[in-house]
Amino acid sequence: MDKKMKETILNPLFKGNPISVLVLGICSSLAVTVELKGACVMALSVIFVTGLSSLVCSLLRKTIPGRVRIVIQLVVVALMVILVDQLLKAFAYGIDKQLSVYIGLIITNCIVMGRIEAFALGNKPLPSLLDGIMNGVGYGMILVVVAFFRELLGSGTLFGFPVLSAIGYTNNGLVILPPMALILLGCIIWVQRSIQKDLQEK
Amino acid sequence: MNTNNNVYTVIYTTVICVLVAAVLAFASQSLKPRQEANEKAETISQILTAAQFGAKESWNDNNATIDFYKQNIASAAVVGANGFAAGELNTENAEVYSVSDLKAQNYNIKDGTDVALPVYVFNNGVTVVAVYGAGLWGPVWGYIALDKDLETIVGAYFDHASETPGLGGKIKDDPAFRAQFVDKKVVYAEGQKPFNIVKGGAGDMVNGIDAITGATKTSNRVAAAINHCPGAYKEYVLAQRAVSREPQGEIMPLCDSTAVVEIVNE
Repeated sequence: MDKKMKETILNPLFKGNPISVLVLGICSSLAVTVELKGACVMALSVIFVTGLSSLVCSLLRKTIPGRVRIVIQLVVVALMVILVDQLLKAFAYGIDKQLSVYIGLIITNCIVMGRIEAFALGNKPLPSLLDGIMNGVGYGMILVVVAFFRELLGSGTLFGFPVLSAIGYTNNGLVILPPMALILLGCIIWVQRSIQKDLQEK
Repeated sequence: MNTNNNVYTVIYTTVICVLVAAVLAFASQSLKPRQEANEKAETISQILTAAQFGAKESWNDNNATIDFYKQNIASAAVVGANGFAAGELNTENAEVYSVSDLKAQNYNIKDGTDVALPVYVFNNGVTVVAVYGAGLWGPVWGYIALDKDLETIVGAYFDHASETPGLGGKIKDDPAFRAQFVDKKVVYAEGQKPFNIVKGGAGDMVNGIDAITGATKTSNRVAAAINHCPGAYKEYVLAQRAVSREPQGEIMPLCDSTAVVEIVNE
């Protein structure tokens, strides 16, 4: 595997993580991280959308008229988002109800359009697909970490199974509320910046 | 090829849009049966939740929900504004009004044309009526379960399309909001709303509950929906109340002794 490919795969996970470094798409990461199950489904949905829309846009990149570039990208992203929503409605109705508007709002997730504009329009389909998927994974990773702490400390459970609540832990209501997701996210960014010194502003 | 040519741009966008539309239409059509089955089971589980048979999680899957409903339902009918049954819902197939059916009836109530609202009566005597109306951002709907006297509320369940999560969304997500309905009453009296959701607290009100903090508009609209829909149920509820009270001897003491004898003799 050449160096560039390796970078495409690893960069979104840590050094160029869409949430903790680029700070894109954080609104949904605040909203859907109360429970691990919802966070995982959201992560998979975003991976599906970023991967496939990057792939399709990359396939079309030489034919897309420059002036309507954004419109075409938006149509492709919207197609993927609606497909995800329809599939969830058919096969995971409960989770779709729980994630409610946030599935539809993936279309406004800056990561998706950002990766198409920055990467897919200038690269071959396979690297674009990988770039899309890995950015989705980078997003999902943070989502799952935040959801892990929020479900554990807020409800005392993990994936609905009692963990802390089984040993007499009193649920912390604050963790359930969106502000706590922001604080947790801040902690993750703090940890990352103390490891990766070049991200620190002077 | 010059991709910035006007004709090319127009043709290109058109082709892409048609292709995308075709894919979506295909997906929508092929997934529809599954989605409708899910929606039906969801509706039934909401009705059951309102009637205090348990939360949605009590049933493993769609079939379990529908089977439980079939076992416990006594009769399901649609009633018109005059209070008389306008038709039956097939309980064998667990036929229920979907949210879009309720929406259609909501227009009928507004227009003053004849309505056909669902009434679900369970074996334990609980009657569930439906509620539908406009929320703050989108429709809100729900079910209110009344006890045998058709006055006391035994439970309620609400759902919404797009109320703000954490604020208006609490009508669905906050069990404490729903719990407030229990043991309250729907009161039909002149110049009074049948039910109230009061900002600042309902106190001891027999037909009122507290509004949700930070979601006054959603609360008001839920109240409006409740009054709007069981308003249409009024005639039915009043007629049924009269029926349910008769055998309990409320009329008897008014009769003179001979009349009582006659009734006894018969």
